[in-house]
Amino acid sequence: MASLRPSGQQTQIGAMTIARPQSNAPEFRLLATPLVLFLLVFLGFPALVNLVYSVSEVSFETLRQPKFTGLANFLSVWSDAAFWQASWFSLRFGVLTAILECLLGLFLAIFLSPLIERRSWLMAILMLPLMVAPALVGLMYRLVLHEFVGPVPYYLWTYFGASVSFLGPGSAFWTLVVVETLQWTPFTLLLFYMAYQAIPSEIAEASAMDGARSLQRLWFIELPMMGPTIAAALLIRFIDGFRVFDNVYVLTGSGPGGSTASLSIYIYEAFFKQGAIGKAVAASVVLFVASFAVLYSLNALASRRKGAKR
Amino acid sequence: MITALRWFVFAVAAIALNFPVLVTLSTSFKSARELSGNPGLWVQAPTFENYRAVFEVSDRLNIFLYLFNSLTVALMGTVLAVALALPAAYAIARGRIGERTLLPFIVNLRAVPLIIFAIPLYMMFQWLALLDTRLGLGLILTIVNLPLALVILVNAIRDLPAELDEAALMDGANRTQILIKVVTPLCRPAIVTSLIFGFITAWNEFLFGLMLTTSKAVPVTVGASFFFAASGGGVQWGVASAVMIVGALPPMLLGLVMYRQISGSMTAGAVKG
Repeated sequence: MASLRPSGQQTQIGAMTIARPQSNAPEFRLLATPLVLFLLVFLGFPALVNLVYSVSEVSFETLRQPKFTGLANFLSVWSDAAFWQASWFSLRFGVLTAILECLLGLFLAIFLSPLIERRSWLMAILMLPLMVAPALVGLMYRLVLHEFVGPVPYYLWTYFGASVSFLGPGSAFWTLVVVETLQWTPFTLLLFYMAYQAIPSEIAEASAMDGARSLQRLWFIELPMMGPTIAAALLIRFIDGFRVFDNVYVLTGSGPGGSTASLSIYIYEAFFKQGAIGKAVAASVVLFVASFAVLYSLNALASRRKGAKR
Repeated sequence: MITALRWFVFAVAAIALNFPVLVTLSTSFKSARELSGNPGLWVQAPTFENYRAVFEVSDRLNIFLYLFNSLTVALMGTVLAVALALPAAYAIARGRIGERTLLPFIVNLRAVPLIIFAIPLYMMFQWLALLDTRLGLGLILTIVNLPLALVILVNAIRDLPAELDEAALMDGANRTQILIKVVTPLCRPAIVTSLIFGFITAWNEFLFGLMLTTSKAVPVTVGASFFFAASGGGVQWGVASAVMIVGALPPMLLGLVMYRQISGSMTAGAVKG
């Protein structure tokens, strides 16, 4: 299909492709133009600003006269312990929440599917957390975990005679992991439920005839069939966990000693709190390059596997 | 027996997943006096006092403004995203323009930490005097919504039979006419889905609202935290809870009513994207 470019003119041979007249290419280009222009203005230009400022000495006073400094900003990011701490936080947070969300979602999707099949409104109740702004959920947990008015410490005191300082230095990370997991498990639950429902019922019947028990069927047939969905869910949830900002920002900010600063929070605070524009922008460029490198190589990998299957 | 266990697990999951909303809802009906003595979920003497306080406009706090801002920017970010994505999706799906460049780039955009663009956008908005304007925030939310809208619409157009286009071409219609008269009506479900999903995403956005607005264009996700320090001293948790419920309710209701469309689009975007 790559030959269907305007330069290809009338080269396509064979019955499969005659139905796509190429004379339409300019018109199609015109239809895509508004989107491309919009992206150039609102992403292309900012990306350019990022690149220029990342190699410049710049402050809020000298925004219009950036002075070229080479890689100084990148070096200051590289040697900043807080940057590595934030990278480590983001990585750990992304991996842990993705795994927890997928395990919990998988269990709920399969165990509850006999109930949900007949009453789809049950899914609506479980999906509700996805509709609430993560920033508001973070604020809500400030109430839920509050030592005087929060129900969780209250019930812990009442029934166990002790409570934990949920947002203190030792436990803040784990509290944030639980907060994130509880909000986004419905997403994996939904994905897995749909994938589980999509497994043809003939397969269940055939394996039952072969004497497979339901756990065997789950392990050897159903879970492998859901494999691609599970991989996709892990990836999506890792990415969202890695770039987390809203709920962490309102719950703990960068936390005691920067212990709960994600990379997003690190960049935000470098810019808005420290006014270190060069450092913030250099960190953005690093993150930009890293994200696109990872995403494009994953795309290439996925399309190669797709090609191999054909 | 196993069914009872399933129901039990469902109940535990429903309560645990919705726990912050349940707690906030319950607290929003408690008087300040009850709050200090009763942190539990049960409300002894329900009152609407907190909601009255939330909707009272003062020179510092104006919930109507925040809600209006959220509504405006969310509508703008949603409609503009679909308006830009629909013709592009048609060009990608039928003309195969940018199928290998534009489409993967925009799809990847959904996975990129948006903070990357936040700082240059902040400076750009400063130059263009778009800081703290609804127009500025609406434009940014358009970027946030574009990837999913494009994926949903490309998939929808690919699912339409190409014979429809060809028949219209035979009749002398050009591509723009086909897009408006043939494709758009047939894609209405996908368009509605993009609009609903985009509206919820845009309403719930926080990072850009925090960075790009200060007073006039503050959306409710950011404005809600203003109420936490409203009285100068400690947080009035009753009022704070009421404002969180008010801010969370519109997308929750929309999601509840339209959850079938949304669940479909989420999986479409996730698996095919």
